[in-house]
Amino acid sequence: MSLSLLSPLAAALSVLVALPILAHLTRQRPTERLAYGAMLLVQRLVKRLRRRRALKDVLLMALRIAAVLLAVAAAAAPRISWKGDIPTFEGSGRMVLLIDQSLSMALVDGGGTLLERAKAEASARVRSTPDGARFGVVAFGPTSRALTTEMTDDKNRVLALIADLQPTMGSGDLRGGMLDARRLLAGEKGEVFVFSDEAGPSMIPEAEEEIGRLVALGSAVLPVPIHADPPRNLAVTAAHYGDGIEGGQLTFRVANYGPTTREAPCEVVLPDGQSIPVFVDAPAGGEAEARVTIPRQAASGVGRVSCDDPDLALDDSRWFHLPQVGASRVLIVDGDPGDTPVRSEVYFLERALAPWGGSSNGVVPEVVSPKGLGALDPTTHRLVFLANVADPGPFGARLRDFVRRGGSVVISVGDNITADRYNAALAGLLPSPFRGPESLADRAEEPVPLELPDTSRAPFEPFARGGRGAFSHIGAWRVMTLQPYADAGDVRTLLRFTGGVPALVSRDVGQGHVLVWTSSIDLGWSNLPLQAAFVPLTQRIAGWLGAESDGAVARVEATIGARVEVPLSDGISDVDVRGPDGSAVRATLQSGRAVFIADKPGAYEVRVTDGPRVGWVAVNLDPDESDVRRTKSLASVEAALDPEMFVRHQDLAEAAMGLSMVLLLAGALLAAFTGAAT
Amino acid sequence: MAGPRAIDAVAGWLGRGAREADDRAGAPGPIPWDPIVLARVRHLHFTARVLADRIVLGEHRSRRTGQAVEFADYREYAPGMDPRGLDWKVLARSDRLVVRRYETETELPVTVVLDLSGDLGTGETGVGGLPSLTGTKAGYAITLAATMLYWFQRHGEPVGLRLIGGEGARWSDLPPRGGRSHLQLLFLALASVKPGGRAELSRTLTEVGARVRRRSLVTVITDGMEEPANWLPALRSFGRRGTDLRFVHLYDRRELTLDLPEARVLYSPEGGDELPIDAPGVRKDFRAVVEHYLGEVRTGVLAAGGQYIAAPTDAPMERVIRNLVQVGTRPVEMP
Repeated sequence: MSLSLLSPLAAALSVLVALPILAHLTRQRPTERLAYGAMLLVQRLVKRLRRRRALKDVLLMALRIAAVLLAVAAAAAPRISWKGDIPTFEGSGRMVLLIDQSLSMALVDGGGTLLERAKAEASARVRSTPDGARFGVVAFGPTSRALTTEMTDDKNRVLALIADLQPTMGSGDLRGGMLDARRLLAGEKGEVFVFSDEAGPSMIPEAEEEIGRLVALGSAVLPVPIHADPPRNLAVTAAHYGDGIEGGQLTFRVANYGPTTREAPCEVVLPDGQSIPVFVDAPAGGEAEARVTIPRQAASGVGRVSCDDPDLALDDSRWFHLPQVGASRVLIVDGDPGDTPVRSEVYFLERALAPWGGSSNGVVPEVVSPKGLGALDPTTHRLVFLANVADPGPFGARLRDFVRRGGSVVISVGDNITADRYNAALAGLLPSPFRGPESLADRAEEPVPLELPDTSRAPFEPFARGGRGAFSHIGAWRVMTLQPYADAGDVRTLLRFTGGVPALVSRDVGQGHVLVWTSSIDLGWSNLPLQAAFVPLTQRIAGWLGAESDGAVARVEATIGARVEVPLSDGISDVDVRGPDGSAVRATLQSGRAVFIADKPGAYEVRVTDGPRVGWVAVNLDPDESDVRRTKSLASVEAALDPEMFVRHQDLAEAAMGLSMVLLLAGALLAAFTGAAT
Repeated sequence: MAGPRAIDAVAGWLGRGAREADDRAGAPGPIPWDPIVLARVRHLHFTARVLADRIVLGEHRSRRTGQAVEFADYREYAPGMDPRGLDWKVLARSDRLVVRRYETETELPVTVVLDLSGDLGTGETGVGGLPSLTGTKAGYAITLAATMLYWFQRHGEPVGLRLIGGEGARWSDLPPRGGRSHLQLLFLALASVKPGGRAELSRTLTEVGARVRRRSLVTVITDGMEEPANWLPALRSFGRRGTDLRFVHLYDRRELTLDLPEARVLYSPEGGDELPIDAPGVRKDFRAVVEHYLGEVRTGVLAAGGQYIAAPTDAPMERVIRNLVQVGTRPVEMP
């Protein structure tokens, strides 16, 4: 705010302020003197009146000085200038109405959404404009659209276009809106009214350049803020499943963009329909993180977290990927029953996979003889353990089909194994052909221990939190050696014995996996079953491979409105994509990927036409758009570009003169009604 | 105007008393007989007699030890005492020299303390610069004092005068004495004084209070226009000594109502700041000040054991005198 004088020379008249001061100092005193016998009482009276009188005198003098100063100020024609929030309509007769239809405009405030208010404001602006004015309408959500191809004076059409606007699910592309407005104005001057809540951290900064271009052309950008009072919104901004040895947790974050702390009732819905309620206290202007333990048995797919928020419902849900958790039906093929339990691989495997029996840990072991492999059902079983099976020849083809369709096979060796039979029966499954058994140490000596695992690899991730050191106690006296192979691509060496001999080798085949433990699972060749790491390692492998058997499908995260690309396996030539509501979504195949646009939030399923599922897509809103708080106003940008347009002026001469008169009158009344005591 | 014969007559009245008073006051030279003063003396004498005759009161008595009828007590003989008072029978019985003392009816010394400081001088001025004896505060005070002195002298009491302030009086301090000539001396002092100077009530009253006899009557006539908190404590010395104190509060009702038609610059003849006053604008506040002041003085006098007599200058003087010589007080007359 600033003050200027249109006639600064008149300020010299301010010396007149000395007049009331002189009048005060030399005010008229009575001249007639009188000897008075009761002066003691007069002195007491003066003392009594002095305080009251002093106050009145000062007030009177101040009133008079102020009156003179105001009169002088009126003569100097003062003008006060200040920065206004929004410039006034200049009336060029060419108006472009930019209406924000981004997600945040769906915020409910005062009984209606912000978009409804924006539409009402825009309509009122159109109606109040004199006939003959020309209008253009641009709506901007995730993308900007010019609703009129050129400027039009058809008010009814403009009003109808405005009335049809609906909120979108994405952010606001103000920059695109400004660009469309500039195109509509076609290089001529005009006013661009922006009806927006100005929410989001990036909308206005990204549009600054375009605003500058409009202003450079002589146009005015006139913001019409449509704000909630106060801005408030609750949104789920992140959801992520993190697994563990025995199931895992869903971690999600709830952002509160309002001014008060809120307790939000939330619900986690798993892909199989299980619902887990949870309450989250979200601090004002901050985020709260909540964790939900996922049950040990849960189907894989895309789950949802929703928190109830009446202000802006569109961003109250977030979808997340959930791998298969537990419930792995494991087929254990017992190739060496053994004469005692401790000499049987199956004895140890069964107890490691289901320590309490049954399926309380989500793993359902099923023990069969090699002949029982005929019961292998790719739709039921997730994992097959071949425990020291002598001849896999009769069911080699069945296993290959099982693995290609997403199943997994774990092979452990022993005295029954013959390398040639395995190489012949399981060609295409083994990471590398078996070469033959080899002793690493004398039986009377300590076994050769394992090197510590790399916990960045998926099977060992849970051991990063603890238990990694226990792997060094696992050792073997004898192993099945493999033909040399390249540790790259589909084949990976997950564990090695000290000295570099491979211990656990994996190979990806189709959508499935094959793991080879190069020693025995009983005590014949190694001490594995007696070590502390045995049970968690077995559980982890079962959980990982069991989940991956379904999780072999692609899992893709996407933002609404964005192009989604789902990688496909070789040979897939046609896919069927279904949206959250089950309706078909148009998709194309490009370079081995299924490509489509997700226009709704939720779970999208990608299947081979009339075939298995090949991908899940979790589509969510852009979390930035949920932030309905203003970080920068359009007016501030405009004011920086064209400061003069935002400056308001008010002449104060008349007000000063009027106030001067009022003060003089007040002074006269004060003097008249209070009288002069001494 | 008094003639030479009148002067001679007054001089004859005064006689030896005047000379003694001169000696006490250290006054130089012969008394300058002023015909105007002598006329005022006669006027005062006449007025006092008229007023005294209008007041009919019973005899008043005071008591002191003396030689008379009723035995009071014994006292050890000391050298210088009259040996005729010795009780010989006691001497015979006990070899002790004691003097018998008796109670009797006797005279009551009366001292009039008259304030004639400058503040009393407001109002009209009479002939020769002396205050008019009618219509002025000073004249009212002088006449009242003269009447009081005449009244008590006629009843056989020794009377004295102590002037506070005042100018032109040959004597300002005349202790109580009997006799007509002494009364004339007092009248001469009253007739010749004019208001002036400062009262300094506290100092004067303290001085008088320390000097008067234990059983005596003191009448203070003053306008009390000094801070009461300063001089009221001095009155307590009278009460402590058993002195019969009668306080005549003299005031001009017009001054206490601020009866001025327009703004004036007011000043005190005793000095001090001049104060411009717009009387119509402050009369209400002034009334509150006066009420507080009168209450303060009256309460202070009563607390000191004195009698308070209000004496507005427009009140009939005989009524004031009646209040003065009677025991008890009347309510304060508000202006």
